[in-house]
Amino acid sequence: MSHYYDEMLHLCGFEDEEIRRESSRIERAFQKLGLEPEDMEKAQGWVKENHEVELLGVRRILRAWLLELFDLVLAREEGKKVVYYGFPSIEGPGMAIKTAAGDGLYCACPDAILCHTLGQIFNKLTPILEAGEQNGLPPGHGLCSLQQVRNGGMAKGIIPVPDLVTGSSYYCDMGSKADELMHEKYGHRAIYVDGSMDSKWGEFPKYPQERVDYFGNQLNKLFATVKEVVGVEVNREVWNNAMATGIDLARAVAQLQQLVNADPMPISSAEVELAMMLPAASTGRARSEGPEAINMLCQDVKQRVEKGSGVVEKGVPQVMTFLPSFSDPSIAHMMEDTGLAIKVIPASLSLSLDETTPQSTLGEEIADRQLKMGAYHSSFGVVKIVENAVRVLKLDGLIWSYLYNCRPLAMTSHFLKKWVEETTGIPTLALEMDIYDSRNYSAGTLRTKVEAFAEMLRARKAMAKA
Amino acid sequence: MKILDRLSTHLQNKLVDLMRAKTEGRKIIGYTPGGYLPEELVLASGAIPICLVRGGDHSVLELAGAYICRWIDTFCRAQIGYGVSGDDPYYSIIDLLVIPITDNHIRAISDVLDYNTDLEIFPFGVPHMKEESTLQYYRYGITTLKEKLEEVTGVEITEAKLRDAIALCNHERELLREISLMRRAQQVPIRSKDFISVCHGSHLADKYFMVEILESLSKELKEQAFMPQKGPRILLTGSTLAVGDYRVLDLIEASGGVVVIEDFAEGISPYWLSVEPDGDLMQSLAECYFMKRIPPAWFRPGRERLDFLIKLAKDFKVDGVIWYQLMYRESYKTESYYFPKRLKEEVGVPMHTLESDYGPSETEPLRTRIETFIETIRR
Repeated sequence: MSHYYDEMLHLCGFEDEEIRRESSRIERAFQKLGLEPEDMEKAQGWVKENHEVELLGVRRILRAWLLELFDLVLAREEGKKVVYYGFPSIEGPGMAIKTAAGDGLYCACPDAILCHTLGQIFNKLTPILEAGEQNGLPPGHGLCSLQQVRNGGMAKGIIPVPDLVTGSSYYCDMGSKADELMHEKYGHRAIYVDGSMDSKWGEFPKYPQERVDYFGNQLNKLFATVKEVVGVEVNREVWNNAMATGIDLARAVAQLQQLVNADPMPISSAEVELAMMLPAASTGRARSEGPEAINMLCQDVKQRVEKGSGVVEKGVPQVMTFLPSFSDPSIAHMMEDTGLAIKVIPASLSLSLDETTPQSTLGEEIADRQLKMGAYHSSFGVVKIVENAVRVLKLDGLIWSYLYNCRPLAMTSHFLKKWVEETTGIPTLALEMDIYDSRNYSAGTLRTKVEAFAEMLRARKAMAKA
Repeated sequence: MKILDRLSTHLQNKLVDLMRAKTEGRKIIGYTPGGYLPEELVLASGAIPICLVRGGDHSVLELAGAYICRWIDTFCRAQIGYGVSGDDPYYSIIDLLVIPITDNHIRAISDVLDYNTDLEIFPFGVPHMKEESTLQYYRYGITTLKEKLEEVTGVEITEAKLRDAIALCNHERELLREISLMRRAQQVPIRSKDFISVCHGSHLADKYFMVEILESLSKELKEQAFMPQKGPRILLTGSTLAVGDYRVLDLIEASGGVVVIEDFAEGISPYWLSVEPDGDLMQSLAECYFMKRIPPAWFRPGRERLDFLIKLAKDFKVDGVIWYQLMYRESYKTESYYFPKRLKEEVGVPMHTLESDYGPSETEPLRTRIETFIETIRR
């Protein structure tokens, strides 16, 4: 028996047997999401246009995202406890909580999942954003659209109200305040993992131990609250197990990041983003489906590299962006269509990660590692990391695609460009955008700026050759 | 009021006084508002504290626009504008700019000015929650500040000096508190704009002079005959009420409303508490400035502040609340969504939210909205 969604799911890497077996869950999930037969038809066109579905690896990654979406929307009716964490997520705690709790718990960053599925696959994020706007996070105030997505998802009853939400208070003010608003509205427990973004300009990579103690204490508090609410303990053993089970995924992502450095660029940055963000958003399908899917994509990409084929011409300017869109792959394609090879900043280029300072608690160990990466306390750390990436990747240009509605990034709008151009001599385009909501920052609205930048980089490259 | 004229004259001469003090070797310590910098430490170091709390001017935002995008709080962009201008008299005269980092908007001032100007900047962190560990972190911050002040001034901040400074600042807070509380009466003895000008004056004036002014003002207010009050009583609250940003106050007054109490995170320093003058003084400062004070909206959760607003609304018998926030300060924006329901349930009064980016074209729309709100309350 065929279903209205068969063709769409085939395109996203599902097989007949799996569709048949899972049809009840799939239908319940689509019903909750309000996805109907005409949405499947539209989505097929969108996916074919914006994803390289001729590659099995891409299809399997899309499948992993869809499975994660089904798990998310059905978590409550499948009897699971639900924990949400905020974005940017700290690497590890979500995975450790999931490891400790097992199948009885759903733990993820739900807004990132909605962006990657309702946005990237169904091109139907707008109703969710509008619901978020109508329920306390209105448009026109520079509020975070990722939070609007989460709020809208809950307001529409698409995603379950969690048992516990952990706010990204260590980074932004918006995430925690939006969590507070949702707590007031839906009544769930919210815990704020606080930090202090108080480094002086120039104070990186060093930072005081007091900051580690403080941030670490907050993480320990998180684990204590998880024990109280979910009934599981996150200790060093659980942490080590979580890190061990995540190693395959980390290796696969790292390999992909390595492969996409080839010239010509073998695959669109939109697909790299799909793979890179899976571990950040999911603790379930990222582990169970992620390594296999990303390794498959690596095989696909390897073949392209061996053949010398790519999505842009060989020798085009190499440019790095901060992050491609979470919800709209057409923006990455637009940039590539202007003749730029787009790279995404790899986490491995963070400075000073190899140095470790002995810490007395698990929370402090995690805090120390996160602080080493810079972004959670220091704007200077951010510019140094980007400067380093520009040098190591031997880039021709940088598109600093800062999020207008993310204060820690918006404040870098001018000084990051100035710093990178002064220290490296590499042209930088400060491009204001919104990687979660492309209604006002669509490919069309950004194209003119990117085209002009690409033209300038080509001219510069030609002059250097001559 | 003649007393306020005296204060005004003192403030007009402030820059000359500061220049004189500087030539005599005294250090001038600028700081951003928010109430997290214990002035006592600056006073005990022999330096002169001045709070950089000017705002309300849209033209300076254009200057800031060359250094930062517009999606940062209006007041914070204004500070960046003044700071990068190179000719702002207050930013030009300070020896050190201390920035208690309360949220990412304030952090933007620190990072942008540090990178783009020669100002010496000293940031320290203010956590967003009240716990034992966060208290320790705040104390760590003000301890590093104490060391920095000693380094800049070359003066050791002794316990005796700190105790004297605490006594002086406590006296100032007590007087502000006393005057503010007089407004609980049916007939309000002082206009909000005058009270705010006193609060703003306290950010700049010589501390001994300010205490003298407040003592005289308190005495005069107790003795004067009150004018009958007509309009609805308003609680004015929000993120920042800067020196020069008086438009909303003027419009409320012109519409017949009477602001009887204000609560702002920036622009009006907290005067509700005094620092415990005995025991470990650094701990006393941390307790008063961080742990016991009513926090701004960037604390999470912000319930303590909202509870306090409910209390103020009841104690001052207000007829309505005007919530005045500056653009892009997300903490206030999110709270303004769910607070009106609670206010209505617990106090039975309405709330109206106003926003500003200091734009001249905002005046008439603001007037219409304020007039309508006041008229609604009257009925």
